[in-house]
Amino acid sequence: MRKLFEPFSFYFQHSKMLTKTRMQYKLDAFLCCIAVFVRESAGIVGVFLVLQTFNNIGGWNMQELFFLFSIIFLTYSFLVFLFSGIRDFSNIVNNGEFDKYLLRPRSVLLQIISANSDYFAAIGHGTLGLVLFIISANSIGTDWSFANILYLIITIIGGVLIQASIWLLFSCSSFFLIKTDSLKDFLYWNTRKFAGYPLSVFPGFIQKLLMFVIPFAFVNYFPAQYFLHKPDLAN
Amino acid sequence: MSIIVENLSKTFKIKEKQKGIGGALKSLVAPKTKLIKAVEDISFTIDDGQAVGFIGPNGAGKSTTVKMLSGILYPSAGRINVNGLVPYKNRIEHVKNIGVVFGQKSQLWWDLPITDTFDLLKKIYKIPSDVYSRNLELFNEILGLHEFETQQVRQLSLGQRMRADIAAAFLHEPSIVFLDEPTIGLDVVAKEKIRLFIKEINRVKKTTLLFTTHDMTDIEKTCQRIIVIDKGKILYDGTIDSFKTKLNKDDFNEAVYEMFTGGI
Repeated sequence: MRKLFEPFSFYFQHSKMLTKTRMQYKLDAFLCCIAVFVRESAGIVGVFLVLQTFNNIGGWNMQELFFLFSIIFLTYSFLVFLFSGIRDFSNIVNNGEFDKYLLRPRSVLLQIISANSDYFAAIGHGTLGLVLFIISANSIGTDWSFANILYLIITIIGGVLIQASIWLLFSCSSFFLIKTDSLKDFLYWNTRKFAGYPLSVFPGFIQKLLMFVIPFAFVNYFPAQYFLHKPDLAN
Repeated sequence: MSIIVENLSKTFKIKEKQKGIGGALKSLVAPKTKLIKAVEDISFTIDDGQAVGFIGPNGAGKSTTVKMLSGILYPSAGRINVNGLVPYKNRIEHVKNIGVVFGQKSQLWWDLPITDTFDLLKKIYKIPSDVYSRNLELFNEILGLHEFETQQVRQLSLGQRMRADIAAAFLHEPSIVFLDEPTIGLDVVAKEKIRLFIKEINRVKKTTLLFTTHDMTDIEKTCQRIIVIDKGKILYDGTIDSFKTKLNKDDFNEAVYEMFTGGI
């Protein structure tokens, strides 16, 4: 039993140190939260303005789109809180820090996950996700029963794990390519931009990309379809 | 026998960069690769508790050898056995028993005082509390860590940081420690403190040491034996005295200079 919980206590020891480290630069921390929030909100404002002219995008109204976005931001918040070490892994290889982890008698993956966390970006993304969720949750006609809340929680856990796995895949390529930022920009960040909109508005190959290659559709689109009872793509 | 190395080689494949934009484009289409033999067919053994100086000019293959011994790099050929384990195969078991100090890199947390890193290492290596505090006390005595233990690492001088880094590598009482240029860039006083520490630990704890440095005084004051390496090959393996006799010099520094400038 002790052995089972040991990795968690290892993780929390790191968390304590990370918090202490981050707290030394309070202004930077505060501005990081705000900057992330404002940057990401700008994209949402864009959607808002477009929908002043058009009523919907691919049959999805503003509330429904906000719900779609809220899952992206909520999952991303947990993602950078837990797995930013995987995101930044190519830097760790590039600057030689990886050697340090190899020299310690612990799982390398556990060390990388424990030693990094982007707390303040997590707060920025999380706040925006919550705001969008609160705005949309009541007006999308979903009955927030116990079963649906459970479904939402599983959606978020699943979404976090899917994206973490995508990052992990890119991270592995760091050993051969050393720098993988652009590969990640190209495949992860661009796909994430698509995921803000309903899958049905895109041409077939992008739909397939989001379903089978970089499976972002499973992070927010398919779960949102369930909550909103949207039949698109049914054929 | 704590370290056994047999016919060890390491070859790196590197991309040759060609000159200019044209060259860069050319290497994009048809990259030219070159094989570099960093370590070539070396063999040696080190007994338990021995302190060995590992000497060679820059690029001789010292760090590559240390990296293979510590399990960071795979050898291209040959065999390594450290404490009965193959470093690159049994990584976790192997690193429990070794310590590594890289003079060019630090394992301390940059924004926190050294005590935080030490506490983390206690957790990582699962060091029992009594062993931990006993070691800290001993290290404090020789290295004088108390003077700066509440300051953040980023505010420390190079000498202070290095002293802390060395203490960090010895905290879990490893039976073997690899020291890769731990005295680089340090003043005489800091160097002397580190030599004293290394000598003392080697005497008290019988720790096996492989000490890489460009300062021959480091070697003379701490090591019983030296291994001299250049261009990936071992040129000499034996005591300092017989090395001096071999090269007909009274001064160790001069003898080393003689060897590297083609005296033999």
